[in-house]
Amino acid sequence: MGFSDFHGNAETVHRLREMIARDRFPHGVILAGPRGSGKYTLAQMVAKAMNCSEHPISDGLPDFCGRCTECTRIAQADALDQRFAEAVEAREQLRDTDKKETRIFIQTHPDVMVIPPDPPQMLVKVDQVRHVTATMYYRPTEGGHKVYIFSESSFMKEAANALLKVLEEPPEFATLFLLAETPSALLPTIRSRCITLTLAPIPVEEIERDLAQKPEWNARQKSLVARLSGGALGRARGFDINGYLQARQDALIILATAISGGDHSALFRTTESYRAGGEGKEKTDLLIATLFSLLEDMLFVKEGTPELVRNIDIQPDIVKMTGAVPFDWIVRAAERVGEVHAGMRRNLLRSLSLDALEAALEA
Amino acid sequence: MEITISKFDLLKELTATQGVVERKTTIPILSNFLFEAADGVLTITATDLDLSLRTSCDAIVKKDGSCTIPARKLYDYVKLLGDGDISIKLLENHWVQIRAGRSNTKMVGMARSNFPSVPTFPATGAVKIPAAVLKMLISKTIFAISNEESRYTLNGALMVLKPESITMVATDGHRLAHIVKEGASFDVSGEMKTLVPKKAMAELSSLLNNADIEFVEFAKDESTLFFRIGSRLLTSRQLTGQFPNYEAVLPKENTRIVPVRCADLQAAIQRVAQFADERSGAIRIRLEKNEMKISSSSTETGESEDSIETENTGEPMTIGFNSAYLLDFLKAAETEGVRLEFKDAQSAGQMRPEGDEEYKYRYVVMPMRI
Repeated sequence: MGFSDFHGNAETVHRLREMIARDRFPHGVILAGPRGSGKYTLAQMVAKAMNCSEHPISDGLPDFCGRCTECTRIAQADALDQRFAEAVEAREQLRDTDKKETRIFIQTHPDVMVIPPDPPQMLVKVDQVRHVTATMYYRPTEGGHKVYIFSESSFMKEAANALLKVLEEPPEFATLFLLAETPSALLPTIRSRCITLTLAPIPVEEIERDLAQKPEWNARQKSLVARLSGGALGRARGFDINGYLQARQDALIILATAISGGDHSALFRTTESYRAGGEGKEKTDLLIATLFSLLEDMLFVKEGTPELVRNIDIQPDIVKMTGAVPFDWIVRAAERVGEVHAGMRRNLLRSLSLDALEAALEA
Repeated sequence: MEITISKFDLLKELTATQGVVERKTTIPILSNFLFEAADGVLTITATDLDLSLRTSCDAIVKKDGSCTIPARKLYDYVKLLGDGDISIKLLENHWVQIRAGRSNTKMVGMARSNFPSVPTFPATGAVKIPAAVLKMLISKTIFAISNEESRYTLNGALMVLKPESITMVATDGHRLAHIVKEGASFDVSGEMKTLVPKKAMAELSSLLNNADIEFVEFAKDESTLFFRIGSRLLTSRQLTGQFPNYEAVLPKENTRIVPVRCADLQAAIQRVAQFADERSGAIRIRLEKNEMKISSSSTETGESEDSIETENTGEPMTIGFNSAYLLDFLKAAETEGVRLEFKDAQSAGQMRPEGDEEYKYRYVVMPMRI
């Protein structure tokens, strides 16, 4: 147990620990990185290190024990998705009048609070920030350090403005973590009041080594997942390989039909399955992401860097497809997929949009 | 854990702790009571993390132990039970069985270890404060505490203990309530300043209303305030920050003194305020010879004026105030007469109750530009 469990980004971890050691921890920290890169894991580790009652030292820097009552209580919130589901469930059971005014918080330790985006809009709301303001200025118990973790930085406008006030004048014993996939989406005034630490992608080999513990995947699948996870370990660990392979199958049909023309019956059978509704949306989003990744791989082949190709298991197919089209075609295809992506947000008919995409690429 | 307790006793303690239990929370453990039984005593604890209340009562303890029980459900259920004894027993997997007469219920609680630890009363340094005095001090100041979260140092009242006096001050930046009780004796050396959060004050006040005791024991450590009210212990985490230097804003040269009957002024302001601007609630007070005129006007509702007879000499003067602020004080004053003290139209006005010798109570209101 300890910071040694955190994979990669040793420099960022080291910096955070040094700041704890010097007792100069900033009051606002933006942890940036793609989904699954370990932002939440790292923030929880810092919260534990700040409140651990054992104060262990490793490599000359503060660490956490993971065994004391402080660490174990904070660790109960490690399984964020589960705690989040419980909190939503707890709200559902409240009386109707209370339900409207109740916001989702996760707090398993008196001094550490996790503020997830509030459903159904999945945005951090102003009441949540107000609650943070109202509780923040109370002293921590037993001389610990208060930690507030905003697990996603998607704020409603008033909430972001309310947060500015706290960031401007935080008490000396509190730290706010803002976990962001795209820090540039935050208000510039918020960014200027925080320090930003970015979690960089982890090398493919390191992820492959970690995935060795997954017995249900074969070696080929593991190396495929390691490449597709974009350097985010959390994403690699929870990768839905079957869902991806299905989406890639469909994406390949669309691209292959567009390149070779001819019989369209396979295409129509495929696009037909992209229906309206929530499930269809997820499926379509995945397909679009997969299309992008295939087109990117084609560009890698075209430009003479085949070692960067992620979909290594079908590399010969990709090389064949790439050979059949010019560079401009790939660029145009990427643009068209982008248009479909934008169209999805405007609720265009899914199957028809995909058919239109194919037709446009064929012409 | 296994205990038997009379419904009357249990309900009394549950009612007292209800105020602390957070109803609107998604943090499961906070909507639970902690029950602890040992040596013939049942201790019930409720907390919202900032505030916690621990209360105890006699019970027949068959087996020592502890458990947590959903607070609201238990309270609602116990209220519906008939008079008589209730037995509470902890079963496996945090299930709790409650039996009374021919009723039998099981509820599921949570692990005891999840319940936040409640700080214990410090062994030394407790100060005894007469309960009646504390109650008085709270009721005269609590309404002036700011409700704005961002002005965190104003989210509580300042309590100043000196060897011979106790003072409480609250302000929201627009008005300030200040009350001193002298001629008492407290076991403190020098001056002890404490910022008491509003939530704690409200809870304290309701506990004092329902308790028949002479003294409250008060103590504090680095992070927590403790109030012992008989068998109950209220703890509150301390607020950080410096309370503003209020002594600087207490008016010293308010020499124009206007005595009025509290009820007259209250009724007049209430009537006139109906026609004040809805957002600001501004009313105008005009001092004329032996008369005080209270007026308001708004473009939407019309205008209104009331006049009160009073002793007044000197030049006429007009000053504007927020009617709600004046009414807050008149409601809290509880005396027959009050004195309004002014300097000029640009300076803060001061109000004091008349005829109360025991407490020195004053209320300062900033004027409005009208």
